[in-house]
Amino acid sequence: MGHNIWKIGGFALIAYVFVMVFTVPMGPGLLELSNTGNATTQVDSDRPLPEYFLTGFGTHWSSQPDQLQVIVRSKTNLSKLEVIEVIDDTHARIGVSLPYSLPSKSWDVLINHPIDGTLLLENGLFLSDRFIDESLTLPAISIVEFEAKLPFHFPYQPRILETIRNLMLHVPMWFTMFVLMGIAFVASIKQLATARNLAEDEKSEAAVKVGLLFGFLGLITGSFWARFTWGAWWVDDPQLNGALVTVLVYSGYMVLRNSLDNAPLRARLSAVYNLFAFIILIILLMVLPRFTESLHPGKGGNPGFNSYDLDSALRAAFYPAVIGWIFIGIWMYRINLRFTRLQKLLTWTHCSQF
Amino acid sequence: MDSLLSILIQAHPLEGWFFGSGKAMVVLAIALILLIGFGLWMWRAESRLKSMEAKLKSKNQQES
Amino acid sequence: MNSGRAHKVTPPSWSRYVHLTRHAFRMEFRKKNGLAGLILFAICAVYTCYQVAGSRADAETWNALAWVVLLFSAFNAVSKPWPEDAPEMRSYLIHVLHPREWILARMTFFAMLLSGITCIVFVAFTLFMGSEDLSTGRALWFFCGMQATSIAMASLLAMIQTLAIRANGGFGLIAVLGLPLIIPVILIATQYGMDVLNGVSFADTAHNLLFLATLSGGFGALGYILFPYLWRD
Repeated sequence: MGHNIWKIGGFALIAYVFVMVFTVPMGPGLLELSNTGNATTQVDSDRPLPEYFLTGFGTHWSSQPDQLQVIVRSKTNLSKLEVIEVIDDTHARIGVSLPYSLPSKSWDVLINHPIDGTLLLENGLFLSDRFIDESLTLPAISIVEFEAKLPFHFPYQPRILETIRNLMLHVPMWFTMFVLMGIAFVASIKQLATARNLAEDEKSEAAVKVGLLFGFLGLITGSFWARFTWGAWWVDDPQLNGALVTVLVYSGYMVLRNSLDNAPLRARLSAVYNLFAFIILIILLMVLPRFTESLHPGKGGNPGFNSYDLDSALRAAFYPAVIGWIFIGIWMYRINLRFTRLQKLLTWTHCSQF
Repeated sequence: MDSLLSILIQAHPLEGWFFGSGKAMVVLAIALILLIGFGLWMWRAESRLKSMEAKLKSKNQQES
Repeated sequence: MNSGRAHKVTPPSWSRYVHLTRHAFRMEFRKKNGLAGLILFAICAVYTCYQVAGSRADAETWNALAWVVLLFSAFNAVSKPWPEDAPEMRSYLIHVLHPREWILARMTFFAMLLSGITCIVFVAFTLFMGSEDLSTGRALWFFCGMQATSIAMASLLAMIQTLAIRANGGFGLIAVLGLPLIIPVILIATQYGMDVLNGVSFADTAHNLLFLATLSGGFGALGYILFPYLWRD
């Protein structure tokens, strides 16, 4: 039992991850600040106040509506907008009470509320009908800043929204594939260096088989995610090309194995091809994405994920997912290896009886 | 929690319905059953492979 | 490394490598139909593209067709097994050659052959498909990119060809094993070609050539290290 603890642990971790994926709520965020085209007349000014419509996601504005603060920011300039009316938890009418002369056209929108804390919508407000003078500074404002009082939640990310849950199912597939292909790579080197028997060849075959399974699962989960986030099952992107080509290269490895009958020759040729395949995997999934632009989340130099995007809630689900899937992958590889060996042994024993 | 879900339904009908109507729990339950079933199947496969290995070993020893 | 176990011949020598390369060319030029077939294939492929896309294809199509024609010409060039790959010839050569000078000779031969075919493809392509998007200087950079790509393909395909022949597979196996491995090269090459056509300054796209050189070096080194394992019995 003691040495099997990691097998049970792997499944327990994934069960925990599944529970997290389906039960943890999303945190609040800002969807958009749109111009309604209306304008209300101000009491103390002759200029009309342009009215905007602010839409939030999972926010709680109708409790304590008077505490809602809407602030716009451009570099160091901060200015408060007027909250005309809070309609419900996620909708509010905002009056853009900014002067006619401004230091910038494009502004970040910040929301502060006692429950949601501070939320940011980057470049949420764009004013094209104002006089721009970059040397202007707006008068300083006083803000009462509230800390968020929210339950345990996954972070809101623009456009990704609920599909962030796929992080726990998609990314670990590739990590597991890396580990299994790494096992196959080491086994292939050993096979070439010490060509006594075919033990290492069996290892690399089993590891590539299971690794390919995880590769296909990675492609499928990624494809579903892309359908809901980008609107297409497949898009032309360096990261996606790399993933598909890696799977194709290893499929080529399986084709090569199946086209050879002579076992020692098969072991040698497939080991040679496997070394090429692993080098290509490293180039495609680790090197090239760092030098090309990609739509894939977690960009900015890192092909897997951006460490700044991972908050504590995501870490609490993502790291167990990676460890759990790797354990399950290794267990599958060991069972596959055991099965192949037993099959060979049985064939051999059976033949030797004649 | 309920208010949060109702808002979710407004903003994103499909996801809001999915998490609000309890369907997420059904999917979770099925996923967990599949996962545990897969784990048990692997456990059983491994133990059967082990016993077959042992049988084969003892048989070979008897013959030699 | 026990790769020298089967062949106790002297370590790789420069003179034998030069001799083998020259021998490969002599054999190629002696059978003129093989070389003529390669050239005919390249020109026919370009002419087919001309028929399909017309002489005023936009830059993207022009770029894509150029690399696809180069890719297929390269695969066509390596599809033919060498007489030295026959089992009886190999078992003789194992005793008189070091496998590493053999793979180096093959790589050199393929690199030079593909360079020549690249020249033909490039000339035919600019002739038929027009070169409105390329000024003379840019055409030169594009040509350099094609040459770098052909060398990268040669360094990989020399190895893949032997692998496929040893596995008793024909052209199908070369394609199945070679195409996925060559895709990174083609991705970088098309990126470079698009940059050149779009008028990106050479300094901003030169890293693509560096990538191609690195890939050629990597494939070449892997082939040089691993070829003895393929060749011996």
